[in-house]
Amino acid sequence: MLTGAPLDTDVAIETPEHIVFRHRLAGPSRRFLAFLLDLVICYTAFSILAFVVLLVAIGAAAATNAAEGAIGAGVGVLLVVLFGLQWVYFAVLEAWKGRTPGKAALGLRVVTTTGRPIGFRAAALRNVLRAADALPLAYTAGLLSLAGLVSMSTTRRFQRLGDLVAGTIVVIPERASVAAPLILFPPAQPFELAQLPDDVRLDADERLAIEMFLRRRARLGRARELELAHMIATPLAERFGFRAQDPSRTLALLYDRAANAGRVDAPPSSRTPGSWR
Amino acid sequence: MAIVSALTERAFAARRQRDWDQLDALVRTAQARGLKRLTPDAIAALSPLYRDVCADLSRAEAARYSAPLIDYLQGLTADAHTVLYGHARGRWALAGGGSTWRVAVEAFPRAVRRHKVAMLLAFVLFFAPFFAGLFATLYDPSFAIRIVPEAQLRPLVEAYKEGFSSGRGSGMDAAMAGFYVNNNVGIALRCFATGLFFGVGSAFYLLENGLATGAIMGYVASKGAGDNILTFVVGHGSLELGAIVLAGGAGLALGWSIVAPGDRTRIASLQATARSVVIVVFGAAVMLFMAAAVEGFWSASALPALVKRAVGAAMFLVVTAYILLAGRGSDQAAAVERAEGIDRWT
Repeated sequence: MLTGAPLDTDVAIETPEHIVFRHRLAGPSRRFLAFLLDLVICYTAFSILAFVVLLVAIGAAAATNAAEGAIGAGVGVLLVVLFGLQWVYFAVLEAWKGRTPGKAALGLRVVTTTGRPIGFRAAALRNVLRAADALPLAYTAGLLSLAGLVSMSTTRRFQRLGDLVAGTIVVIPERASVAAPLILFPPAQPFELAQLPDDVRLDADERLAIEMFLRRRARLGRARELELAHMIATPLAERFGFRAQDPSRTLALLYDRAANAGRVDAPPSSRTPGSWR
Repeated sequence: MAIVSALTERAFAARRQRDWDQLDALVRTAQARGLKRLTPDAIAALSPLYRDVCADLSRAEAARYSAPLIDYLQGLTADAHTVLYGHARGRWALAGGGSTWRVAVEAFPRAVRRHKVAMLLAFVLFFAPFFAGLFATLYDPSFAIRIVPEAQLRPLVEAYKEGFSSGRGSGMDAAMAGFYVNNNVGIALRCFATGLFFGVGSAFYLLENGLATGAIMGYVASKGAGDNILTFVVGHGSLELGAIVLAGGAGLALGWSIVAPGDRTRIASLQATARSVVIVVFGAAVMLFMAAAVEGFWSASALPALVKRAVGAAMFLVVTAYILLAGRGSDQAAAVERAEGIDRWT
C-alpha cells in the first residue's frame, strides 16, 4: 500500500521517540470474517474431539460394562472444552500472540490504543464483553451483532464495546518490503539530458503522484498510460520548459532528475489541508 | 527550509540497508519465538537499531523520499515498537516482591470491598427476589409455575424426592460438573458483560436468577422435598450464589461508572472501572469452577445429610470471611493497586 496522505482509516501512534507511525484499522467486515474463521476452527476441532472422546467412552463402556459412567465422564470433559472455546480461547490467544488463528489468517492484530501488545487483563475484558457486543440479536451464538456493529460504526477507530472498555484496537499491521527504487529505462539519452533542466523541484504531492503513476504504468495500456500522463505532464512541461517525445517519458525524466540529483529541498505539500476530503 | 546536501534516496537506502535488514531479522525472530529467546547480543543490539531506524524514518520523511521507502520504514518501526515496548508485565510481583499468587488471592476480596456499594446492591437485587420467590411459592405453589415452566419443575421434584441414598454414578457426576462449568460460569460472565448497558443487564440477570432460584427451591419444598434440596444446595450454595452476586455487582459498577463518571470523561471512567473490577470477574469465575466441582461430586453424593450441612455451614463461613477480611491492611496489595491506578474507590 502506498500511503501518501493519511487515510481516515489509519490511526497515528506516537512513540516515546516522537516518531509517528500509522496503523491501518481493520473494519467490521474483515473482523467478522476473522471471527467466522475462528468459529469454524473451534467447532471443527470440537467435533473431532467429541468424536474421539465418544469413541473412547464407548470403547471403555464395552470393556468395563459401565456405560453410563464412561459416557458421562466424556460428556463432562466435552462441556468444559466447550466452555473454554466460548470464553477462554480468544482471550488466551490474544494475550499470548496478539491474535487468534482467524485474525492471523486475515492479517489482523489486537493492540492497545497506544500501539502496544495487549496483556491478559485487556484480552479477557474485550472478550468477556463480546457478550454485550452480541446483544440483542445473536444472543447465544456470540456472533458480532447489533450493539457491536453500532459501536464499531460510530467510533472513530472501529472499536466494538469490548474494545472501548479494554482500550484496544484491531489493526492490519503491514510490512511493506523495500520496493526497488525506480530506475529510468531506457537511461536518459544525451539529447534528452541536453534539454532537461538541472533544477527540477517537485512538491511532495507531485512527486507521489508521478511515482505512483510510474510504478503502475507497465500495467496500463499504452493509450491509457499516455492519457493519464498527459494530464500532469502538460503543466509540468510548461513549468520546466521541457518536453520529451511523449508525456510518459517526460514524467519519467523529470522524476528521475528530481529524485536522484541530490536536491531534496522540495516545498511542503501544495495541497491545502482538508481540501480533498 | 532547505536541506542542502542530503543524500539521494538511493544512496541513503544503500547506506542504511544493512541496519534495516538486521533489525528486520531480529524483530521477526522476536515475533515468532519471543523476545526472551534472542541471544544477549541481539537484545543489546535491538534498542540502538530501533532508535537508528526511528531517526531514519524522520530523515526519510523530512527529505520526502519515495512512499514505498517511507512505508517500509514505518512498518519496520511499528513492528519493532510492538516488540520492544511490551505491555507492562509482572507488576504484581514487582510491587511487593512477594508472590504473584498471594497478591491475586488478596486482590480479589479487596476489589470486592472497593466496590462495596455495587456489591451490596447486587446482593439485594438477587436475594430480595430470591426470598420473594421462595415465600410466594411456599404460600402458593402455582406461583413457581408462572416463573419456571412446569416441565422443568416436575423432574426436579422427583429427583429431590428420591434423595441421595444411592448417589449418582461417578460418570454422571462428571457430566453434571461439566454442565455447571459451562452453564454457570457463562451466566456469570454474561451477567457482568451486560452491565455495560448502564447496569441494566446485570440487574436483569440478578433479578431473574434470584426469582427463579427462589421459586424452584420453594416449589420443591412445597412438594415435601425441602430437606433434600437444602442438603443438596448448602454445600456449593455460598460459592455459587456468591459468585453470581459478585459478577453482577461488578457489572453494576461498570454501568454506574458511565452514569456517574465523576471528574473523568465517561470513557476514561469506564476503562478505569473495568480495570478495577475485572479481578472480581476472574475471582467469581474461579469460585464457580469450585462450586461446579462441589455440586458435581459432593452435593449429590450419598454422604449423610448432617455431614453435608456441617460442611456447607463451614463453607459459608469461610467464603464470607474471605470476602470480608482477606487482604485487609496488606501493604503489598495496596502497593500493587497504586501502581495500577485502581486505588481510588474507597
